[in-house]
Amino acid sequence: MVRYVLIFVFCFFISNSFAQVDSVQKLDVINLHSIKLKKHSKGFKVVTMSDSVIVKNIESFSTLLRFNSPIYIKEYGSGGTSSASFRGTSASNTAVVWNGININSVNNGQTGFNSLTTSLYDNINIRSGGGSIEFGSGAIGGTIHLNNQLRFGNYFENQIVSSFGSYETFQNLYKLSYGNEKTAIKFGISYNQSQNDYKWLGHNLKNENGAYKNLNVSLSLSQKLSEFSKISFYSEKYNGNRQFSGQLPNPSAAKEKYKDLSFRNLIDFHYEKENYAHSLKLAYLTQEYQYFADKNSHSYSFGKSNRFISNYNFNYNFSNSSNLESFSEFESVIGKTDQIQGNNRNQWSQSLIWNKKFEDKVSMNAKVRKDFNSDYKMPFIFALGVEVKPVRNTFVRVNGSKNYRVPTYNDLYWPELGNDKLIPESSLQGEIGLGYKNNQFKIDVGAYFIESKDKIIWKPGADPDKPGMWTPINLSEVLNKGIELVIAYSENINDHLFDIQFNYNYTLATDKASDKTLTYVPKHLFNGNIGYSYHRLSAFYQHLFNGEVFTTEDNIDMYTVPYFNIGNVGVNYKVINKHKNVLDLGIKINNVFNKAYEVLPRRPMPNRNINFNINYKF
Amino acid sequence: MKISKVILSMFLLSVLIISCNDDDDIIEPKGDYENGLLISGEGSGTVSGSVSFVSNDFVTVEHSIYNKVNAGKEFSTFLQSLAFDGENAYICVDSQNSITAVNRYTFEEVGVITEGLALPRYMTVVGDKGYATNWGTGAYGADVDDDFVAVIDLNSLTVTNTISVGIGPERIIENNGKLYVSHKGGFSSNNVITVIDIATQNTSEIVVKYKPDDLLFDNQNNLVVLCEGNGPWSAGGETEGAIVKINTSNNTVISEMIFNSGDHPLFLVKYENDLYYNVGSEIYNLSQTATELATSSLLTSEAALQYDGGLEIKDGQLFILNPNYLGLSQLDIYDLNTKAKTNSLEAPVAASKIYFN
Repeated sequence: MVRYVLIFVFCFFISNSFAQVDSVQKLDVINLHSIKLKKHSKGFKVVTMSDSVIVKNIESFSTLLRFNSPIYIKEYGSGGTSSASFRGTSASNTAVVWNGININSVNNGQTGFNSLTTSLYDNINIRSGGGSIEFGSGAIGGTIHLNNQLRFGNYFENQIVSSFGSYETFQNLYKLSYGNEKTAIKFGISYNQSQNDYKWLGHNLKNENGAYKNLNVSLSLSQKLSEFSKISFYSEKYNGNRQFSGQLPNPSAAKEKYKDLSFRNLIDFHYEKENYAHSLKLAYLTQEYQYFADKNSHSYSFGKSNRFISNYNFNYNFSNSSNLESFSEFESVIGKTDQIQGNNRNQWSQSLIWNKKFEDKVSMNAKVRKDFNSDYKMPFIFALGVEVKPVRNTFVRVNGSKNYRVPTYNDLYWPELGNDKLIPESSLQGEIGLGYKNNQFKIDVGAYFIESKDKIIWKPGADPDKPGMWTPINLSEVLNKGIELVIAYSENINDHLFDIQFNYNYTLATDKASDKTLTYVPKHLFNGNIGYSYHRLSAFYQHLFNGEVFTTEDNIDMYTVPYFNIGNVGVNYKVINKHKNVLDLGIKINNVFNKAYEVLPRRPMPNRNINFNINYKF
Repeated sequence: MKISKVILSMFLLSVLIISCNDDDDIIEPKGDYENGLLISGEGSGTVSGSVSFVSNDFVTVEHSIYNKVNAGKEFSTFLQSLAFDGENAYICVDSQNSITAVNRYTFEEVGVITEGLALPRYMTVVGDKGYATNWGTGAYGADVDDDFVAVIDLNSLTVTNTISVGIGPERIIENNGKLYVSHKGGFSSNNVITVIDIATQNTSEIVVKYKPDDLLFDNQNNLVVLCEGNGPWSAGGETEGAIVKINTSNNTVISEMIFNSGDHPLFLVKYENDLYYNVGSEIYNLSQTATELATSSLLTSEAALQYDGGLEIKDGQLFILNPNYLGLSQLDIYDLNTKAKTNSLEAPVAASKIYFN
């Protein structure tokens, strides 16, 4: 029974329709991050992608999000620099959270979505909207949560996923999971490489200089210390080396190369008794990149950061329906680049979250947070989310929050250009959603607004003391409004299983001063997945419609990236289908209609390509 | 009746023949873009470099004319400059390592050179040869000393030879069999002019002030060089700007007019017997024979002209580009006599150069 489908999890219920996952949930789950996220997201939209969805889009994180989430992905050619935007907000307004720790770069405030391999994560949650204040700075648009899941119980499992296909692409991963009543271990390793020299449709050219390879190793351990306490350790190392492909008309001019290395470590001590729990987390993260303007030359520019985070969380249950949580966090960052000398930023923050239920009808979270930062004054922020279930199977969700994004190291300290007078961007937002859900059918319609001010933008001549230079200032005010729709439906007719789910987003993001649409915000974005399975056989189709985007601030019609429709199709067959021994063989065709399309101007995306994959669990 | 019909048709025929003959004498327009200005824009990260056409009467403005004429083709970034011969325009796009030849009046593509170029910046035409400055490999803070001038056969559109020069060659102009190259410095800063003897391809250098950029020959046939000087943010500290005059018969410096510290001019043009330059938004003029810089400005433009833009003069009109990197730029036209702004038109994204076609 292959279940590739993505599961939409609404805030009030923790999925799942799948027996397999259900059994997991009943066991002692160690990484509470995913569960806590949902508990803390009353009134917000949270989408979960399980590992079976993740391995369907193993080719890149960008592709995974593009076909399965309500996020617009901006990618400089397939495999190039890639960033994610929620609801028309900027890339640095998207926070990427690894096992509860925000891992956006301190230098540019973003996460490169092709600098992460997703295949080793056990699940990924996507939470739209602000108010995830326990994850720090930047999360104005939304948060993406990467989780390694551990559990106790007696088991020993192995999984190998391997695919090979067009452009000499090889994607491989191995996962080992072991558990007993007191210990849980998970080890994963993935290695991917590709020449990525796809044809540029409509041009007699190839994607030159696009090759990549990356190695990712992860290890997670947990040990029960007593009936009430356990200690867990998560570690992950990523080593990537890729070339940045060229653009029209002459891709052969491209010579850039990029290496990045990240190392993340987290220790979590957790103690839980009847009505209270506390945990202490210590994390140490390093990130480093080297950028080679010319791959044949040894000279490069670099950026480095070391972060230390300690987080103490206390949770007290007043009753079954009411509890209070406190998060105290200290973070120390040292960041530098070849341009910026080492700078140390210390930040201390205190958050309180109050969770309350009124019978089974209403549940809510109220959150407040105050930060104290060695660099600048931080606004006081808050969030409120409420969910009401007036009639069986229906719900109303409402949320509002104030959020901020701190200036990045580049904004503050870039030599001569950085502006140390910058203040954090801030936003006020609200959302209301209605929905219906039963065992077969789910629908959620939401409308939101985000009003942002003091947005940090780089502009020539912004600082009168540095005439003509590109410098960052707090300038624009932006209003984002939109409607989002999620529908999922499943049907079983005589063992023929059908699944359909799709996201549609309508987004209007306007600069308040000029009344123009922001660049690179598609008004319409749609993605959908259709799945079919019958005993050992399964098939799926993924579709993406990405609306036209403007590339100039004055919205000149001539300078746009046109809309595109693309689809992927796959067929799988389980050669072995036993309880503890499943061998699944598949074939996937990406861009099945062989459409020429671009996400960014002059950077054609891949033509039709094919891969063969093996997924073996034993 | 019959006869008259025959006469009539013969008359009509003759008219036709005569008019056919006349065709050879009538001056047909050579293309849509003959009588006007070509404005080039470097392009930004998202919008391709492009050329806009502005008619001489300023009524017609047409953007991205190369893309229109050549079925959606693009230059990409960064479009540095155009060079011309009688028939063609040659467009240098640095990050694409390309020089594209188009008919200068129709903008139909003639051919593209991509082999043998590495960050091409400017080109000048001498006979049927083009000479294009190239930065070669390198990056900011890590330049490599492999810069060169590419010699291009304009008939075959191929690079036939290269002449090695110092770091960061920028503008290139020719006089009396010699090429003069200003070394603004590419990824850093430089302070020399290279003189290349076309016949022997021997090179020699003349030291000027830092960041020499605009070059022209004045009415006395001296080479006039605008040195911008290093800005206050430069790694080596701020240096002064200057207008340097060089005697082209013996290639020695005649005079240096030094700018006040902190003043970094960007543009220098000549018009009639004067030189015109800017410091920021202030436009100055002085006689070509002057030995001192002007003390008061001619006019103040609306464009900041502190980082980029463009400046040209024709028929008593001063053309100034006010660049915008995130949308269309602006072309402002001033009357030199009244010093008033007479017109303001759209210009390409990241507009940087004005050419009279």
